[in-house]
Amino acid sequence: MPASRRYLHPDAIARIARLELRARAVVEGVLAGLHRSPYKGQSVEFLQHREYVRGDDLRRVDWKVWGRQDRLYVKEFEEETNLRLTLLVDCSASMDYARPAAAGPPALGKYDYAATLAASLAWLALSHGDAVGCTLFDDHVRASVPARTKRSHLSSVVEVLETPRAGRTTAFLPVLRSLAETLPRRGMVAIVSDLLGDREGVFQGLQFLRKRGHDLLVLHVMDDDELEFPFQGPTRFEGLELPDHINCNPRALREGYLAALGEFLADVRTRAAAARSDYALIRTGEPLDGALVKLLSRRAALAH
Amino acid sequence: MPLPSFDFLPLLWWGLPFVAAPLVIHLINLLRYRKVRFAALEFLLASQRKYRTRVLLKQLLLLLLRTAAVLGIVLALAQPRWQTSLGAFLGAGRTVHVVLLDDSFSMGDAAPDGQGGDGGCFDRGRKVVERIAGELAGGSGVQELAFGRYSALATGTAGSGFDLGRQPLTPQVMQQLRETLADLSPSFGDQTPLEPLRQAAELLAGGGESSRVLWLVSDFRAKDWKRADDSASVLRQLADTGVELRLVDCTATGGPADQAANLTIERLELAGGVPATGVLVPIEVAVRNDGETPRRDVLVELREDGAARPGLRIEEIPAGGTATRRFEARFTKAGGHVVEARIPTDTVVADNRRTATIDVVDRVEVLLVDGDPQGSGTAGDAFYVAAALAPGAGAPTGLRPRIEPPRALTTLDLSAFDCVWVLDVERLDQPEIAALEAYARSGGGVVFFTGPRTQAEIVNRTLHRDGEGLFPVPLAGPVDLLPDANATDPVPDLVAEEHPAVAVLSGQRNPLLGAVRIERTMAVDRGFDAASAAGLRRLLSLRNGAAVMVEQPFGDGLVVAVLTTAAPVWNNWARGNPSWVVVLLELESHLARIRRRAAALEVGDPVAVRLEQGVDEIEVDFSLPPDGTLVRQTAAAAPGGDLEARLPAAVAPGSYAARWRRLDGTEQERLFAVNVDPGEGRLERVGRESLDRTLAGVSFRYDRAESLQPQVGSLAGVSMVRPLLHLLLAVLVAEQLLALRASYHATRAAAPGTTGRR
Repeated sequence: MPASRRYLHPDAIARIARLELRARAVVEGVLAGLHRSPYKGQSVEFLQHREYVRGDDLRRVDWKVWGRQDRLYVKEFEEETNLRLTLLVDCSASMDYARPAAAGPPALGKYDYAATLAASLAWLALSHGDAVGCTLFDDHVRASVPARTKRSHLSSVVEVLETPRAGRTTAFLPVLRSLAETLPRRGMVAIVSDLLGDREGVFQGLQFLRKRGHDLLVLHVMDDDELEFPFQGPTRFEGLELPDHINCNPRALREGYLAALGEFLADVRTRAAAARSDYALIRTGEPLDGALVKLLSRRAALAH
Repeated sequence: MPLPSFDFLPLLWWGLPFVAAPLVIHLINLLRYRKVRFAALEFLLASQRKYRTRVLLKQLLLLLLRTAAVLGIVLALAQPRWQTSLGAFLGAGRTVHVVLLDDSFSMGDAAPDGQGGDGGCFDRGRKVVERIAGELAGGSGVQELAFGRYSALATGTAGSGFDLGRQPLTPQVMQQLRETLADLSPSFGDQTPLEPLRQAAELLAGGGESSRVLWLVSDFRAKDWKRADDSASVLRQLADTGVELRLVDCTATGGPADQAANLTIERLELAGGVPATGVLVPIEVAVRNDGETPRRDVLVELREDGAARPGLRIEEIPAGGTATRRFEARFTKAGGHVVEARIPTDTVVADNRRTATIDVVDRVEVLLVDGDPQGSGTAGDAFYVAAALAPGAGAPTGLRPRIEPPRALTTLDLSAFDCVWVLDVERLDQPEIAALEAYARSGGGVVFFTGPRTQAEIVNRTLHRDGEGLFPVPLAGPVDLLPDANATDPVPDLVAEEHPAVAVLSGQRNPLLGAVRIERTMAVDRGFDAASAAGLRRLLSLRNGAAVMVEQPFGDGLVVAVLTTAAPVWNNWARGNPSWVVVLLELESHLARIRRRAAALEVGDPVAVRLEQGVDEIEVDFSLPPDGTLVRQTAAAAPGGDLEARLPAAVAPGSYAARWRRLDGTEQERLFAVNVDPGEGRLERVGRESLDRTLAGVSFRYDRAESLQPQVGSLAGVSMVRPLLHLLLAVLVAEQLLALRASYHATRAAAPGTTGRR
């Protein structure tokens, strides 16, 4: 199977396309102007007049109206910019968790799910003429492709997502800091990760990006098993990133596990909000199209 | 604090290793953890840090509960008992043991134990009882004992038949029991376990004892236990009320394959003839072989009135079969005579001897009722019958015929006659018929001869009465037998049927029978259905198939109808043909055998004599076998209004004599033969499987005497099984609740961990 088809998940994309047709205005708004763009775009469309208040930029005062009516009004424009979407995809060892196919209905592993999600977003952005770049990282940047607007650029994005993973731990801070320094223009940065490992580094890195004027989207991908912990029977849990292991009866520890996980999720949500980033928890058991629609709907709601 | 004892201690030892099973399973589980590589391990570590102690405690408690559950099951199987002083004080620690010892004569089986043990079956039984009591005496708590034997309990009233009544087992009682056992020997009775069990059940009923145990020490023969529904029912009731049943089999094991072989004298009795002085009478002895191999050259010793006479040698008695031999005896003195047969001693002694008593008289009176009002002298029916029954001094038959007219039936005491012959009587009045019927009903034999005076219609109406009366068949009237057309090879007019009274005539072309010519007979009514008449048998027939001599029971007696004349009027049989005499004598013996049959008494039956009020004195001396011990009994009023002196039960086999005096001073004596039940000599054991079938649903423990471990000490005290089961239930419920709370129960949802191996 070609890599592009593997990650694009034809069914999911087809369904997303149908959804996008039904709500083209929303989707276009999301990808083209769902964020307050930090710079002016090439085309500006008048939106409305508003009465002047102290502090408004005098350059926006409509002097023609002042001349006719002797009142100060400022002109407001709906600004439309070309989005620069940078996808940061976590490829650390913790993203390797996947429920085996024999365990039940086939489900994508965490990394596969994250990569599919990233490819889908890239496809949608490119289809609307936006520029998409992609960076794969763990404790270092493993692969990267700069933002381009050509539709054929999707294969470059997919190629990055297909880069062999080294199974290393996550180090968000150095990666995000270097990224903040190297991204040439402000744009949207979407982090697709399970956020396990260097939690402090995540949010410090987000602050760097935020300070550089980037619009932040945190897509927190978690496996259903991690969220529900349905294990039974004597089990030896070995850490994918941590060197520890635990021999236990999982059901005896489930209550404490879920409590600790809840604290983690609440902390992540709070700190994401503090970093003025848009946060979405996405479960791998959720259909991909559903997750995208939910995400796009939320972004559309924020835009209004 | 005293330790508990266990009814099934070996089960405890076998089961104890299983107590470690939960721990072993836990350890095995530790070795076979599933491996899951997991990303969010930090949260699991946090949970473990937080709940480590709680989880460990829960696991430990669960392990303890599971171990306790297994231990509880093992203990319950071993059936512990706890002897507490508090329980004993409250009566809960009291244990009652009722020991029943089978002393029926099959217990006298002297077959030695094949494992080197000495003594016979009964000896082993005694030792078992002594062992049980010995362990009881050494046990803890209050132990009560009652001991009884079958023979005493089978006849005793409730509770009175026990040799040792229920009482605490003190050293004195123990000594008393030893002395009692030492004096015991097998009885001659054939008691079944039913009555002893009923008495034991009454003794064990109610009470606040914590333990009640019934010991049945017996040989468990098939005849007593194969279809012992009543005994099984009593045992079932006892088991249902919590009585512990211990069955101990005392038969020998491991001996020769044919050790159950036993010869039994099954029968010794008069086989016909007239028991009169100077007359040869045939006596039959039958010996049964219960073994699995034939027995050869069995010598039967015979005694007459205590004196030895030539014995018999039986060449072979087939396995499981009976051999019958006949010998003849002639008694010269009137009165009671004792005949005894003995066979060589074998495993069971009691059935190797059998006794018969024969009452011999000078002459046996036979009543001939002649229907000829004038009396025909030497030409009448009575003459020919009397001549046959008492031919003369040269051939003593012991019979004394007495010829009387029909009215004598009401004037004479018919019971004094051996047999009544009614010869061509035209009519009998109602009182005469009633007297004759009463005689027949009480066991008398009646013979009717028909002839020219016999009126078919009167016979049918007064004597046959549609089958209700004495006369066996309805009559149609006289008919002639046409001469045989085949003059060269004539067929005999008479045909003998299969019947003991005419057996002498049977056989191919009997010349005596061939000489008999029948010209006329009284025909049976054509509408009569012989098949509907109960017990009707044909003795002689005509060549044309018509009946000439038929027999039918009437009450306890027998009636024979001969449908031709006794005198040579309608036939020539009585004229010089020896078969006439033989058939009539055989017929007389056949009909009189019921009256001559002495009451068959067995050990345990009462021995009684009837006395005439105003004629006999009321004191009767009974002479008991084997040594003639005298027991004086005073006669009392019997249900029939007569006086009766009786021994309540014959204890030993042999000949009993009752002697008393008449008021006129004359001595009277009557002999009784008391024998053992020959059936008791069948030594076939019921076997464990058959016993299990008989006692299906009854909880009991079966031991062989030689391998018995009484463990009576363990039977003392409070049974802990019920509280243990309650505790076990509580532990299991707690275990389930804890396991549920510890989330150790599997859920229906698919568990990824189960397939999450990497």
